[in-house]
Amino acid sequence: MRRILSLASFTFRELIRSKMLFIWLISVIVLCGLAFLLSLLSYGDILSIFMDLGLVGMEVSGLMVLLLSLAVTYTTEMDQKAIFLHLSKPMTRGEYLLGRILGFYLVVALVVLGMGAVVSALVVFVGGGQVTPLFIDSVVFLLLEMFVLTVLGLTFQMIATSLVGVVLYTFFTIFLGHLIGQIQWLLEKQLPAGIKVVLKVIYYILPNLDIFNLKDRMYDPTLVLGSAQWQEVLAYAFSYSLLVFLIGWWNLEKREFM
Amino acid sequence: MKPETTTSDRPTAIRISNLSKTYKTGFWLAPKVTKALKGLQLDIYENEAFGLMGLNGAGKTTVIKLMLGLLKPTGGSLTVLGGSVSSRQIRSQIGYLSELPYFSKQHTGRELLEYFGSLHGLFGQALRHRVDEVLELVRMTKAAALRVSGYSKGMLQRIGIGQALIGKPRLLICDEPMSGLDPVGYKEMRDIFIDLKKGGTTLFLNTHILDEVERICDRVGILHDGELKDVASITKILGSTVQVDYWIDVEQGEASKLTGLPFRDAIANNGGVQIPSLVLAETLSLLASRRAKVKAIRPLSSLVEAYFLQAIGAQAQLQRPVGSDR
Repeated sequence: MRRILSLASFTFRELIRSKMLFIWLISVIVLCGLAFLLSLLSYGDILSIFMDLGLVGMEVSGLMVLLLSLAVTYTTEMDQKAIFLHLSKPMTRGEYLLGRILGFYLVVALVVLGMGAVVSALVVFVGGGQVTPLFIDSVVFLLLEMFVLTVLGLTFQMIATSLVGVVLYTFFTIFLGHLIGQIQWLLEKQLPAGIKVVLKVIYYILPNLDIFNLKDRMYDPTLVLGSAQWQEVLAYAFSYSLLVFLIGWWNLEKREFM
Repeated sequence: MKPETTTSDRPTAIRISNLSKTYKTGFWLAPKVTKALKGLQLDIYENEAFGLMGLNGAGKTTVIKLMLGLLKPTGGSLTVLGGSVSSRQIRSQIGYLSELPYFSKQHTGRELLEYFGSLHGLFGQALRHRVDEVLELVRMTKAAALRVSGYSKGMLQRIGIGQALIGKPRLLICDEPMSGLDPVGYKEMRDIFIDLKKGGTTLFLNTHILDEVERICDRVGILHDGELKDVASITKILGSTVQVDYWIDVEQGEASKLTGLPFRDAIANNGGVQIPSLVLAETLSLLASRRAKVKAIRPLSSLVEAYFLQAIGAQAQLQRPVGSDR
């Protein structure tokens, strides 16, 4: 366990010093600017504008940090073969993958939570309102989504043979993962059998990122998150991540480093 | 040349038996198969310094990657320190320095060593103490607080050897350890290896810098095109009759006596002549008959280099006197 934590802290420091937090800073500036502009133009509820924009900002900045971190570390670890030094040490490949995942996730979570703190400050100090429990739930769901995507991204990093591959796989997984609801809707329609098979494969393989999406329903007065929904989301996030991690580990175990 | 057959009773640090490795590359429709290693048979003994020599692409790095478990053999077997390299316990006794080691540039030298030390199970005071010790050993104490991004090639190499030594390895495996070093860095690195050898660490060096082999290693193996062409002790090589070129200097103003030597590959230049050892005696007696005053005779390459070239069959045809069919 200590080795995993050592690598996680090593990775965290590496990413933070690679100026990943600049993305967070830029996102905060853009968010504040947009929130200000929209509050001037809109007659609607200023608090909901802050929270809506905030959730989008959190997701976008988290994803950008994840993709950039994957790209930066792929160059060091795989292209320049820094991974050889880690794997030649008394550390299993599973520990290596887990340490990397934790290090990445700490950075992504820091960015999401940092953005959440800025949004909360906007709501309280500029909007004069209160952060709603559903907003907090949305942030937690977003953190779970980021965890799933971090595990997926790192697994792609272990499997892919090029930087472009890692970024493309992760990007398209995120993109299609958000379309799972639409894919499900299409599956209920009359479609040629071949297309249905393809859609079914996509549906079952890709992560269902819709399950983590609360921001579209934040102002649904009927929405109450019960313990069953929490359990379902938590169970899905951890079981999907575990499965992906096991695939990544298995692949890393049999991978040869030429 | 036949490999030196050693039936030593010394304990082996690495036992390689009929090891082969084949790479398959390219698309599945047109796969390309490369035989990187062909039935390698080699024992490395404990406390010895072994140098594996070979041209680029000979298969040297493949051997190291197999030893570290980064590659899996296609055939044969390999045991390191009496066990499988996949075991954590075995890997904790191995230090590895890659060619031009690359580290995350965002860490300082000390942080890197602390991280790699923690992978060896060192923590707290013991870790800090060991890091200080290693920094001192690789002469990086002053630069330890600097980020790796500001390091020169030599400093990177020294931190590289530092991370390899952090766990006090019984076996140190280095891939081209002198790569990119300036003469001072080269000498410092050589001194570190000699100290480690004196301390009982088994050294396995992949190299094509032959001078390094001669000064550090007890035995060498010559790998060519995936095949082990020869294994010999340095003592055997130094005592061999392998041919090297010599440079003969004559006194100033006597250069004209060097012209027209009847040897095809005698190259006269700047008051000296380069000749193969085969005709050394004949050249000297010819120069004596011309009353040329010889100032110095120097070998132009090391015996190890000549031995290596001979083993891989790259040495030019031995020079013979012009017009002679001897």
